[in-house]
Amino acid sequence: MNMTGAGKDTTSYEPVTPGRRRSGSRSNGAAGRRDGTVTRYRLSGGTALRYIMLTVISLLMAFPFYWMVMSGFKTNDEIFRFPPTFWPETFLWSNYVDAWHAAPFARYILNSIGVGAAISLLQIINSSMMAYALTHMRFRLKGLFTGVVLLGYMIPSTAVYLPSYLVLSKLQLLDSYTGLILSNCVSVFSIFLIRQAFMQISHELVEAGQLDGASHFRILWTIITPLARSTFAVMVLITFIEQYNNYFWPMLITKSPDLQLVSAGLRSFFVEGGAYGLKWPQIMAASAFTIAPLLILFLFTQKTIMQSVNMSAGVNKN
Amino acid sequence: MKTKIFRETEALLFTMPAVIPLLVFWLGPLGYIFYLSFTDWDFMSPDKLFVGLDNYRYLLGNPEFYQALKVTALFGIGSVIPIMIGGLLLALLMNSKLRTSGIYRAFIFSPWVTPTVAVSIVWSWIFQPDVGYANHVLSWFGIAGIGWLQDSNWALVAILIVTLWKSVGWAMIFYLVALRNLPSDLLEAASMDGAGAWSRFRHITLPLISPTTFFLAVILTIQSLQAYDQINVMTQGGPAGSTRTLLYLYYQSAFEAFNVGEASSVAVVIILICVLLSGCSFLIGRKMVHYQ
Repeated sequence: MNMTGAGKDTTSYEPVTPGRRRSGSRSNGAAGRRDGTVTRYRLSGGTALRYIMLTVISLLMAFPFYWMVMSGFKTNDEIFRFPPTFWPETFLWSNYVDAWHAAPFARYILNSIGVGAAISLLQIINSSMMAYALTHMRFRLKGLFTGVVLLGYMIPSTAVYLPSYLVLSKLQLLDSYTGLILSNCVSVFSIFLIRQAFMQISHELVEAGQLDGASHFRILWTIITPLARSTFAVMVLITFIEQYNNYFWPMLITKSPDLQLVSAGLRSFFVEGGAYGLKWPQIMAASAFTIAPLLILFLFTQKTIMQSVNMSAGVNKN
Repeated sequence: MKTKIFRETEALLFTMPAVIPLLVFWLGPLGYIFYLSFTDWDFMSPDKLFVGLDNYRYLLGNPEFYQALKVTALFGIGSVIPIMIGGLLLALLMNSKLRTSGIYRAFIFSPWVTPTVAVSIVWSWIFQPDVGYANHVLSWFGIAGIGWLQDSNWALVAILIVTLWKSVGWAMIFYLVALRNLPSDLLEAASMDGAGAWSRFRHITLPLISPTTFFLAVILTIQSLQAYDQINVMTQGGPAGSTRTLLYLYYQSAFEAFNVGEASSVAVVIILICVLLSGCSFLIGRKMVHYQ
């Protein structure tokens, strides 16, 4: 930025076209006064300030990620030095390799992806059927069911983890993916989200389908669902991220190391593996490859994920 | 009449895949926990002894409960308000059409998608008292190092910083959407009438985005009651209970002390707080919030 400013100074003796001026010296107030267009340059000064502030804040937000990756490269000697070195003296790639092999991280990550995918798939099915029934079918228990779903929105499931745990143990489903997946297979949020989308679809479409002799099941899957595709994309992404990151509940009900999801696996590596306090570079490396899949996913699906925010605001209004 | 029975059955078929798991894993347990809170059970013994209100009596006489209540309130206030103010400020900063705002948005939002456990581990390294980066930064300003997670005065602050870092981008996106939906003609008219930036913000923007503020306040408060991962990784409720929220107390008495009855009574308190907050939010929502 400084360099463009300096370059601008040398050329500002010549007449400059307004377009170039605006893109050229954003932070150069002196040049602005010389040209006599004070207001425009004062505005640009404000914009420059915004850019600087946002850049600083963005870097601050990204710092923990930077620090994680860089600490993962340091030697044990270097990482315990104070003041800390901002840029590693030597890049010890072997930390990443060692950490990867120190615990079954590949397995943990695949576990998380598998469970997240299974739960997302189930939620597509049951949320869309439930939402369809609540929006386009008439039946007696409709009011009651809407109430139940509303109540679910109010009381967080964390509060009932203890009795849910007891239910799972009665069903002999503790320490199994069946238990983990079934107990997470309904999300009140997903139902609301899909319901929101289905409400915007005209009921005439359903009636037209019925006149053609199609069953509700067919109408739902061939007419309604395709129309709400973008909402489903949002729902799947949010559910997947939530389940991949899920820690508390999976940690409670799955005990065998083979079944652990990535957060629980990372946490036991952090505490139990004797790693705590001793092998910080490896711990940082392990955190890095736990986080990486999500940051990559975020990179490619940014728009959809941020769109979800817009939609969930809509959910609450109703 | 056959068609009516058919219609009801069909609707049941459509709702059951969602309703059955909800009943088994959520509504059923919800009722069960009220029952458990009147018993004295330890996971092991074959029958559950009914003890009436003993668990609640014990809870009300237990200083740990009041401490947890206080920590929960502090955590709630200390997370919700900074996240909302921070989110709004960031959104205001970004709102005017900056060309590269997409990149900034991605940077600021990205912590929200990452697993809390992993980032909490990273943050506990940053907060490490001897060689952590947080104390390094403080040393630039000549401030002596803080014990952070090992200091009962600072542990909650450290956890709040992580929570703010993780959620502020999320709140920002909500406010960005709200700001973008503001009627620009109204703001222009006000500025023609000579209203300054601050009074435009105070009298037009703020009231018009109040539904978003309200929504965020409710959701963030409920989220703050559920915070567990960062506490579990960074402090496990310590030191000296300074980061033990109600939820964490509930978890510890259930799965560490195996005291089902007592834990259930704590859970009932959490549930009552949720119901109370929802009730309040419903009333406030009807009265105060300015929907367009």
